[in-house]
Amino acid sequence: MEFLANIWQWFAGLFTVTPGWMIFGGWMAAGLTLCIYSFLYKDNPFFKVAEHLYLGAGMGWVFQVTFFQTWKPRVWDALMDGQFVVLIPTVLGLSLMTQFFPRISWISRYGFTFIMGYGAGLVIPLEITTNFLRQIGGTIAPFAGGAGFWAMVNGAIIAFGFICVLFYFFFSVEQKGVVKKASNIGIYFLMLYFGAAFGNTVMGRFSLLYGRFDDLYKYSGSGYFYATHVVLGLLVAYFVLDKLVLSKKNGGQEPAH
Amino acid sequence: MKKIPLFLPFLFLTALSSAAKPPAVLPPLTGFTAADMPGDAGGAALLRWDSPGSAAAGAVIEVYVSDPAKPAWVKLADFKAEAKSESDFNRPFWAWSPAAGRNAVRLDTSAVFGRLDKPQELDFKLRMVRGAASAETEPVRTVIKGNWFNAARLNNFLLMLAITIGFFWTVSHARRKGLFIRRIAGLDAIDEAIGRATEMGRPIFYSTGIGQMSLVPTIASTSILGEVARKVAQYDTQLKVPHFDPIVMTVCKEVVKQSYLEMERPDSYRDDINFFVSNDQFSYAASVDGMIHREKPAACFFIGHFMAESLLLAEVGATTGAIQIAGTEQESQLPFFFTSCDYTLIGEELYAAGAYLSKEPMLLSTLKVQDFGKAFVMVSVVAGSILLAAGAWFGWQPLIKVVEQLFKAY
Repeated sequence: MEFLANIWQWFAGLFTVTPGWMIFGGWMAAGLTLCIYSFLYKDNPFFKVAEHLYLGAGMGWVFQVTFFQTWKPRVWDALMDGQFVVLIPTVLGLSLMTQFFPRISWISRYGFTFIMGYGAGLVIPLEITTNFLRQIGGTIAPFAGGAGFWAMVNGAIIAFGFICVLFYFFFSVEQKGVVKKASNIGIYFLMLYFGAAFGNTVMGRFSLLYGRFDDLYKYSGSGYFYATHVVLGLLVAYFVLDKLVLSKKNGGQEPAH
Repeated sequence: MKKIPLFLPFLFLTALSSAAKPPAVLPPLTGFTAADMPGDAGGAALLRWDSPGSAAAGAVIEVYVSDPAKPAWVKLADFKAEAKSESDFNRPFWAWSPAAGRNAVRLDTSAVFGRLDKPQELDFKLRMVRGAASAETEPVRTVIKGNWFNAARLNNFLLMLAITIGFFWTVSHARRKGLFIRRIAGLDAIDEAIGRATEMGRPIFYSTGIGQMSLVPTIASTSILGEVARKVAQYDTQLKVPHFDPIVMTVCKEVVKQSYLEMERPDSYRDDINFFVSNDQFSYAASVDGMIHREKPAACFFIGHFMAESLLLAEVGATTGAIQIAGTEQESQLPFFFTSCDYTLIGEELYAAGAYLSKEPMLLSTLKVQDFGKAFVMVSVVAGSILLAAGAWFGWQPLIKVVEQLFKAY
């Protein structure tokens, strides 16, 4: 046992954050970022490596989150405390695994039925609360007068737009006459909203891009042995080589996978 | 100029401060009761007492709780003595009748006792403090427990009943007379997309998004997938459905298999039409992007619950020249689908798709019920706005309160 403990200690010690590991981390971050961005030019082996690494790391992360945040506290710890009632949802959850065995896969229907029924029961009151009560309450709130005259005018415009948008979503009524006109006005309101949402989200995405560029700039320093420059240079060299040599072999066609 | 004696302002200020000072002795706290908080999941108590009035101005009321099994008083909350009038209590008029001159507070005990799964007997007392003066009530014992019914949500329940009755009525109506549905361009294009894929001999990609099976757009997406799979089976085209959620994948497997059986093409069905990719949002996006880029599908369907991966997927699909049909309820993602897809189903259109494609009376009647719901919302907004504006104009506060509480979610 002592031998195993020593091995574990040595193994765990490997992952102690040292300056060497920090530099390695910098190379990994810069390298993987550039490998993913290389897809903007065309599909290539570097992107594939990063893609599959991301997929594996993502699954590993989700597995440990599920294991330590759901299975251990909700199932294992509860069973250890003598709360055997957790066996019911656990068995229902495990019944889904029978999908792998065709002869007993019918058992999984019990689990699925429960999930569907539970989901519908959970969603119906929530939908009524969100789509009916909160929507109506929020739209009429400015008319209570507490916020002043201009808030009421603003509220009237929003209520008008809201009703027109609802006309667009009438499916069992033919869109002609007044319904058509109201529906067309509703489309303008929708587009106004979508334009604003688009701008807002694009700004959010740009802030993410700045974050990546900031990291690439950081890892291009001498402290990280010019990781960004080196990886970028290697990628460019590959693409030049690919263009000059490899593509000619394939007749200029991108290989089918 | 006359000189004002220096002591006069001092005397004036002293007189003023002594006049504003509340009485040194606090009034007693009377009429204190403790009970289980009605209509909650457990863990909360409802405390009520007589309002101490202006004599307690500036005082603070502290609430103490103790477990009779392990007696030790723990301070649970404190607030100003003149606050917490029963008329300000957050319950609607049909579930709460405030008494004049009474105060009430809802207190959650989970901060002290954690989550209480079973009924718990607890002692409560109030202590009013102002400077050195204090007044205290006798402890009151009560049992707090979870309740089956929350009367405050009666409006929610009645709406659900109305929708259910409306649903059954429209089902019978649809069976007898049939229902009209207006044209939805995005859904008419499904045939075009599948036909194109058949002609080109390339696969069709169908993503149900990153939603779980309990989400309505995911349920709608599985319904559309069923219709797409029927046409795919009919034309013997290749269908690929990459999945984010294993449960959605299993449901979709059944849906696709059923569609192939209905079209009498079980021989064409393969178990790997639906396949699991990743449960991590961006890993899923990266992997599906790679597949779309390499396999160059003729048509891509992005229908379901999508978040930030929407543009990542749709943009790559657009670069491959695929005809793209998207639909989501996430309004923040719809602009991205508009810019990169040929047809986009906006929110409700997605829910209408199953009925539109199958023309089944049961599903058509759900559309009619949805339209009734929209009509109800429109009428409520108009009527509620007029009533509130009238209440504000004429100063009818009770009317404003009633209308606001009718459309409030508790």
